[in-house]
Amino acid sequence: MSDTVTFEDPLGIGVPITLTRASIPEDLPDAEIRSDHIPEPDPYYVDLGMLYRLAALEQVRKRRFTGIPLHLALRGHMGTGKDHDLEQFAAILGLPYYRIPLTGEVRDITLIGSVKLHGDGKGGTESRWEDGDITRALRGPSLVNLSELNAAGAETLFALHGLLDRHQALELPTGEMVRLRTDVRIFGTLNPTDLRDYAGTQTLNKAFSDRWIIWEKQFPSEDELRLMIERRHPTLRSELVEFVSKLAVEINESFVAGDARTRVETPMSLRTVLDRIPAGLDMYGAAEDPLRRAWEEFVLPHIDPYDRDHYETVWSAVVRRGPSGDPFSG
Amino acid sequence: MRAHNETFLEEILPPEDRVIEAVVARYQRVAPAVTRFARSIAGNDELRVRLGSKASASKDEIVINPGVFQAAYARSAPVTPTEVALTSALHEAIHLIATDFDEERPIPESWLAHRRTLDDDGAEAPPLAELTSYDWIEPEAEFGDDTTPHPLDDLFEPDHLPTSGPVTLLDALHTVAGPAAEAMFLSLEDARQEQRHLAPYPGARSVLSDLYRAAVPGAAANARPLGQFALACFLIVGGYFDRDDLQRRVAPHVALALDDAVPFLDAVTELDDPWSVGGVALQLIEVARMHGLLTEGAAADSSVGRRTEMAADEMAIAESVDAVRIVTPPLADRDGYEETRNAAQTVSAEHGRHGEADQAGDPATDQLMKVSTAPTVYLPTGQAGKLIVSDFPVEFRRFAHQGRDLLEIATREWGVAQRRVSGELYPLFLANQRRGLRSGFDAGDLSPYTPLLLGAGLYERMFERRDLPNRRSYGVSLLVDGSASMLQPREVRGGRKRPWALAAATLGAWTLARLADELQIEFEVAIFNRGFVAAAGDTERSFTERRARATGALRRAQGGSAERLTRTVNHYVVKSFASRWRAAEDALAGLFWMAAAPQEAAKEARKDPDAAPPLSMFDKAANVDEFNLAHAAERLSARNVSHRIIVVLADGMTRGSVEALAETAVSIERGGTMVLGIGIGDETVKAAYARNQVVERPETLAPAMVDGVRSALLRSIAGGGGDTWWAHATEKITQHTS
Repeated sequence: MSDTVTFEDPLGIGVPITLTRASIPEDLPDAEIRSDHIPEPDPYYVDLGMLYRLAALEQVRKRRFTGIPLHLALRGHMGTGKDHDLEQFAAILGLPYYRIPLTGEVRDITLIGSVKLHGDGKGGTESRWEDGDITRALRGPSLVNLSELNAAGAETLFALHGLLDRHQALELPTGEMVRLRTDVRIFGTLNPTDLRDYAGTQTLNKAFSDRWIIWEKQFPSEDELRLMIERRHPTLRSELVEFVSKLAVEINESFVAGDARTRVETPMSLRTVLDRIPAGLDMYGAAEDPLRRAWEEFVLPHIDPYDRDHYETVWSAVVRRGPSGDPFSG
Repeated sequence: MRAHNETFLEEILPPEDRVIEAVVARYQRVAPAVTRFARSIAGNDELRVRLGSKASASKDEIVINPGVFQAAYARSAPVTPTEVALTSALHEAIHLIATDFDEERPIPESWLAHRRTLDDDGAEAPPLAELTSYDWIEPEAEFGDDTTPHPLDDLFEPDHLPTSGPVTLLDALHTVAGPAAEAMFLSLEDARQEQRHLAPYPGARSVLSDLYRAAVPGAAANARPLGQFALACFLIVGGYFDRDDLQRRVAPHVALALDDAVPFLDAVTELDDPWSVGGVALQLIEVARMHGLLTEGAAADSSVGRRTEMAADEMAIAESVDAVRIVTPPLADRDGYEETRNAAQTVSAEHGRHGEADQAGDPATDQLMKVSTAPTVYLPTGQAGKLIVSDFPVEFRRFAHQGRDLLEIATREWGVAQRRVSGELYPLFLANQRRGLRSGFDAGDLSPYTPLLLGAGLYERMFERRDLPNRRSYGVSLLVDGSASMLQPREVRGGRKRPWALAAATLGAWTLARLADELQIEFEVAIFNRGFVAAAGDTERSFTERRARATGALRRAQGGSAERLTRTVNHYVVKSFASRWRAAEDALAGLFWMAAAPQEAAKEARKDPDAAPPLSMFDKAANVDEFNLAHAAERLSARNVSHRIIVVLADGMTRGSVEALAETAVSIERGGTMVLGIGIGDETVKAAYARNQVVERPETLAPAMVDGVRSALLRSIAGGGGDTWWAHATEKITQHTS
């Protein structure tokens, strides 16, 4: 496998960026486990420009900002593919990928580590330090994705301040200093904090927020969605691809509408568009209107009752009657 | 046999679902999405889409006349009501957003040259293709130049041709080729806008297509050749029909004309500038002229005759296209366009702000919205009807002081106890008392939602009532007839006449409320009538003015339906289960004064109509008791109580049927709610209610109400296992006294 990888700008504007693939030192005690953490490239993944932007940031880091903390968080609504972007970036660079969800239950000892009791083999016990999730990831080359950044409590995040600022190190209670290696990249993802129903999220602490570059991840456009569906389901009939893309775009526009009277509270995520609806189409391929059946069985059950009229209105405006016949041509 | 998705709208939609309030109610379901679509189309997140009796369009607001939707439901097409609701609203929104012909420009030289050739019998006519090439560049704004004569001065005189100065597009078309060109342009522009702006919504477009296609055979058969030609142009530009199909449906010479028209039509969908579309309209009129489709007879020799022929051509185009399209006001004709534009300016100039019901201060639409969003009550007989539920006007509190004084006198005169009303029932309801102390609003537990409630300003709900149902949980609902006949003088002692019916009923309600309050049982007091519904905040002036404006506007807009929309079945909640008795006391006292001294109250209202409560709400119209009874039962059954009692007090026949009322009462009784009917000088109650009493004197009314409830409460206690001596004793006393 080549030692370098080239990222093309899907918009065709920027020049290609070539980066060196990561290598895992064989002398690392957890080299094998770490290798297992390198994700497989997703053959159906469509880069809408995020990988190129990530590569551009990586290039900047290496070129002029070595040692300067440039940690990136992707902020976007559910189902926009934030984590998938980071995972695929790691896959392409051959970096072990550690996704650490920061739920409300996560405490600093979970992230950093703690002293635990172990049997000493003589009937007694002895205490040993055990690395937490982040510490373990930091001990070798890795791409750490702290997902749901704004779900964790502020006191938990404070423990990470030193790691994320110029100090660039994690001080363990044992006195050990785990420094941020040059082959470790820290990323994060978060949902926007507004009145939407992202249970458990909260406004990001300003000091914590200041330690990140935050990029917005928008819902994909109709053309982008069409591209994704065609890549994932190449045999899906073109009119269905078009209908599904249009439905998703219209619903998501309603979702991001600023006026509470005209918006819906549930978007159409990429999981719905790329996985659930096609599965429904396959399942109800013999139905009179397979798209309608897929809509009823795989989309509407996710919707709040008060949004149902809005969803159905979008359906009527965009599709009304789906095509009959086998949804897949092969 | 047709498939289920080919069912025709007119076959599945009964007449009651085509009435305006049903149409508006259906629109309400699609309104949020339509507003969002309209904002996307307009590229304006601030755009408001509202209903109003006059369509209008301005920068940040479009007002849609629901009458347009109603017309769409009359179509015979394979579409569903919901699809029509969406499509007609979206269609209207698109045209209101996209239609703007106000920009003034000089008439293009090619148009003027074309016009000159028409006057010269077509000699040296410029090529038709030049009519859409428009090389005008917007000039720099000049100020203070008012000396140029306005070209509109001789606009309608075809023999005079203005050659300089800017005019609007419609004026330019009218000047160059007369009203037929104007009509042709409006239909082309209509189709172009639909083609362009409905492209992202193929579902809605297919509904429109189905509506149009269903109307084409009839319209084409009845149209003159010029009408067929215009209709075909409209359908081709909109993409609703292909040329071959249309050519089979029109007269042979029209089919030939279409062949010549197609090159011009193909270009329309690509055009952005309405002036260019205007150029195409001129081209099409010229094609029609070349094929002899225009009216050009001997009458053309005179100015009057020429005008008549032009008007006939305009009519031929408009009638045939209107028979197919959903006619939207801004594209209907010149008058429609100007009215739409002017209405927007009038609304913003006169009101400057939006009305209470978000309807541009339009009382007719307010009323329409009120009716369409009102709950539908279903009777056991299968009948259904709208019931307007509203809070009782609070301004009646203004008469509370006089009312309390008069109440004291009345209680003495009619012998109605006001202290310890509950009497021997009180100790039997100690459990309720304890519950009240422990979990009342003032001494209950702090609600876990306190921050939200405080944020919403709902201070009284800070303390949450603990739900501790016990064996004796009761709900009492009192329904009082509030028609004007209750204010008519009736006989009292000594043969004299006084208006006592509503007063005695209010006193009964007052006493019953005290009884329920003493016993800590849930109760509700409502008044029902039929007429123009009053709002909770109404004064005499606001009510009468709103009524007059809404009635007038609805008569103009809805004709015969205005009566149904303005004379509604109303259910005023004086004291709801959820509210405190203390909050309703003053309003009920004020109502008592108005009922006991209607002439004095009327004098007060005349003296200060801006402050007085809306006395005019008591209209002379027969009630529909069964809808109110069914609604009260529904509200009562939603309470978590084991024993439910409804007391209905009325003075006459229901406007519905006594059988329906009786069946409603029986079905409510079957559901476990006791219904007591009390008639004032009227024996209808005997036919409608199994438990009934007729009273002829004021002094017997309040006791009948209170004792009826007391007796019912005692019976329920005895029936619930409390078979004690006092229950029987009181039963006997009650029966003896009654």
